[in-house]
Amino acid sequence: MKLTRRDFIKSNAVAAAASVAGVTLPITNAAAADADDGIRWDKAACRYCGTGCSVLMGVKDGKVVASQGDPDAPVNKGLNCIKGYFLPKILYGEDRLTKPLLRKTNGKYDKNGKFEAVSWDEAFKTMAEKWVAARKAKGPKGIGMFGSGQWTVWEGYAASKLLKAGFRSNSLEPNARHCMASAVGAFMRGFGIDEPMGCYDDLEHADTFVLWGANMAEMHPILWSRLTDTRLTKPGCEVHVLSTYEHRCYELADNGMVFEPQTDLAILNYIANYIIQNKAYNKEFIDKHVNFTKTPTDIGYGLRATDPREKAAKNRNKGKLSKISFEEYAKSVEPYTLEHTSKLSKVPKDKLLRLAKAYADPKKKVSSYWTMGFNQHTRGVWVNGLCYNVHLLMGKIAEPGNSPFSLTGQPSACGTAREVGTFTHRLPADLVTKKDAHCKFAEKTWKLPAGTIPRANGKSDDADQSDISGKPMGKTLIHAVAMHRALKDGKMNTFWVMCNNNMQAAANMNDESLPGWRNPDNFITVSDPYPTVSAQAADLILPTAMWIEKEGAYGNAERRTQFWREQVSAPGESKSDVWQLMEFSKYIKVEDVWPADLIAKKPEYEGKTLYEILYTNGQVDKFPAEQVTDSRGNKYNNHESADFGYYVQKGLFEEYRLFNSAEGIPKKGHEMAEFDAYHKARGLRWPVINGKETLWRFREGYDPHVAKGEGVKFYGKPDGRANIITAPYEPAAEPPDKEFDLWLCTGRVLEHWHSGSMTRRVPELYRAVPDAVIYMNPKDAKKRKLRNGALAKISSRRGEIVCKIDTKGRNKCPVGLVFVPWFDAGRLVNKLTLDQTDPLSKETDYKKCAVKISRA
Amino acid sequence: MNICSLIVHTKPTTGPLVSERLQTFHGVEVHGGSEEDKLIVTVEDEGETVSPVSDKMNALRDVEGVVNTVLIYHYGGEESMEEMNREIN
Repeated sequence: MKLTRRDFIKSNAVAAAASVAGVTLPITNAAAADADDGIRWDKAACRYCGTGCSVLMGVKDGKVVASQGDPDAPVNKGLNCIKGYFLPKILYGEDRLTKPLLRKTNGKYDKNGKFEAVSWDEAFKTMAEKWVAARKAKGPKGIGMFGSGQWTVWEGYAASKLLKAGFRSNSLEPNARHCMASAVGAFMRGFGIDEPMGCYDDLEHADTFVLWGANMAEMHPILWSRLTDTRLTKPGCEVHVLSTYEHRCYELADNGMVFEPQTDLAILNYIANYIIQNKAYNKEFIDKHVNFTKTPTDIGYGLRATDPREKAAKNRNKGKLSKISFEEYAKSVEPYTLEHTSKLSKVPKDKLLRLAKAYADPKKKVSSYWTMGFNQHTRGVWVNGLCYNVHLLMGKIAEPGNSPFSLTGQPSACGTAREVGTFTHRLPADLVTKKDAHCKFAEKTWKLPAGTIPRANGKSDDADQSDISGKPMGKTLIHAVAMHRALKDGKMNTFWVMCNNNMQAAANMNDESLPGWRNPDNFITVSDPYPTVSAQAADLILPTAMWIEKEGAYGNAERRTQFWREQVSAPGESKSDVWQLMEFSKYIKVEDVWPADLIAKKPEYEGKTLYEILYTNGQVDKFPAEQVTDSRGNKYNNHESADFGYYVQKGLFEEYRLFNSAEGIPKKGHEMAEFDAYHKARGLRWPVINGKETLWRFREGYDPHVAKGEGVKFYGKPDGRANIITAPYEPAAEPPDKEFDLWLCTGRVLEHWHSGSMTRRVPELYRAVPDAVIYMNPKDAKKRKLRNGALAKISSRRGEIVCKIDTKGRNKCPVGLVFVPWFDAGRLVNKLTLDQTDPLSKETDYKKCAVKISRA
Repeated sequence: MNICSLIVHTKPTTGPLVSERLQTFHGVEVHGGSEEDKLIVTVEDEGETVSPVSDKMNALRDVEGVVNTVLIYHYGGEESMEEMNREIN
């Protein structure tokens, strides 16, 4: 029989699909499927969302030529979502950057000059000069770095160390501030330890699914496939979907609800009230495992202090909890009757009742899922907490199928941004800079003199920390949105953006971000594989080796840490983020950033570079460079190890692991396996104790930290009890009015991941969804004399853009609300959004501001 | 050129019917699974500069009776069509 290369590849493709589906096919080219096609296959964690699918990458002649869902991966079981098709292609966009580029005029750096190719040495020399000057002149907040939930674990860790220990600055934030900070805040307040108690196995165990502000069908398609499977095969299974507009998940919904923005707060309180009124709560559980508390109300909207809304707030930014009784809690939710909540939320009464009954039924296992609808919310910490309240009242938590679950949007928002200390207030493993003891533990682990790491309040042992500026350290925390404000105000003069596209992503970019970046006093560095909106707004662009062009590790939403090897080489002179961070530290002398009295505590550090102090400290450089080889004998490069002369990733990871395993760790529950174990496994879910992963935390029999006889123990809190935290409905910062008469909600679409800096470079994707459109209700369009496809001007108090109207697309908006995706660099919707944040989590609310629309 | 395999889940008992509908797309083949309502499907192009494969995969999702489509395998090498169609045995 004739067989071409095309037939041969096709038979491989068919065999893979049939095997995953469990379908037996009449074998045609069985012999071919077994033959060697010269492709080297190895696992990698997907580059896109927080699901954490494992994909097999097929490499031939140094290039990725094929990809396949990993059949051995517990997360995706051989499946791949449509974005998987574009995974290899994101490496090969035509405009990949290959050399450092510095703005210059007449051979010298000039803020208004044109980009010219320079050497890494010139790039880092220029940068170091600016960073040292800014650090000396303006103190710890004079410099800043904005990292990423797409950083690998060791990149985040190396950055945290460089900024906090090296530069002695807490001006480090991840873009996860814009996506997960509210979830983190609620975990810490409720449970005292970050990240979900459950795992993806709940998708097969639950009877009832509730989606709160998560479009899983488009944003987490593989989890959606698993949920769909359960819904279609399990008798009695039902799906409730809540959002402020209808999206693809509603096709499967048994109870689809569209609510008025911000009223999710009221709906959750109504459910709690229903549970209490009907005495459906699990009394034994709450008696044993729960404390009741309240949080201060009327806390403002995270705007500049001069904003009238901030001046009017009674308890601006306040969040200290106070204990209350069960009866007081019950009273606090009493106003949220079915009648009142239905009126406020515009959700019909029968639908709300059906939802409340689902939670209140002791025989039904309920899993709740949410993403940005809850997190990008000016009451994000509150609303996350209100969902835990409902689960805690019923005791439906931390066991198979009963699972309140915060999904993540980025591949390592958990593993990197949240776990290794890339937030301004955090250190590795949930330690925080406001606790002197935590900082001291970190200093000991990092072999630094006590008092090196800046405390949140600038005081160690109640004395002011001294600073290179000559002034006391002062308060040191600064969150993402405040960084752009500080750049604009000239208080921060250098800024390094890595692995994200923050100029496109930041809210109110016209008024805050762009003026800050282009402020003549400031020097902005952007590391990226592509010339993004951010790169073009920078002064220095550093070309980056991305994803599988380096050895990496991501941690997904179910606490699963996954590793991959360097599969292919990056183009030109591109280098990974971890290489850039470590190499840059060679250009900074300790005397440039530490005061003499601190160096005097450790005289052996005199005259050293930050590189020597932080990375060749006997720990990070402990493991010699080795030929990376997989179990089948395939060999892989490791460009960082080749350059630095030791196994960089292993050293960084093993040092990070000391925060979870060393003598006297301040917090338990975050244990990881040793480095080599992850190269063998398809990921492991922490805590990993004696090589065994943990699926459900806080429950005896599943979590080794819960002793026999304890049943349930929320051990993140000193008394082992979780907090139910009451919080009321409060209105949004900028509801529609007479002039700006529509709600604007922003978000993603399936085809483009985040700001589109990778996906928009794939020609097919670009053609399929080239531009952002305004999804709008036909009645709203008609009222404004706009037809489907017409060009319209959409404007807010801050700016305007022009987009086409879409009244028939996948997102169906109710009257009074429009949805615009943010991937489109040509239509920057963040010119319109308001830089409002949750006052507690400092996370931006991109889901609610007021706009008007007219014909363009 | 691009060659993809997918599993296309159909509504219960509509496997054979949906299979017929899918076969009408150019470059789309169904290799089995209609009994199980899980169709094993390939989608391929002819080496066009901008491949129609992703458009087709998206279009399959909107075919009546289709519940879900998942990608399993993708080949995207850059050899010429002559090379791809050359006999190898």
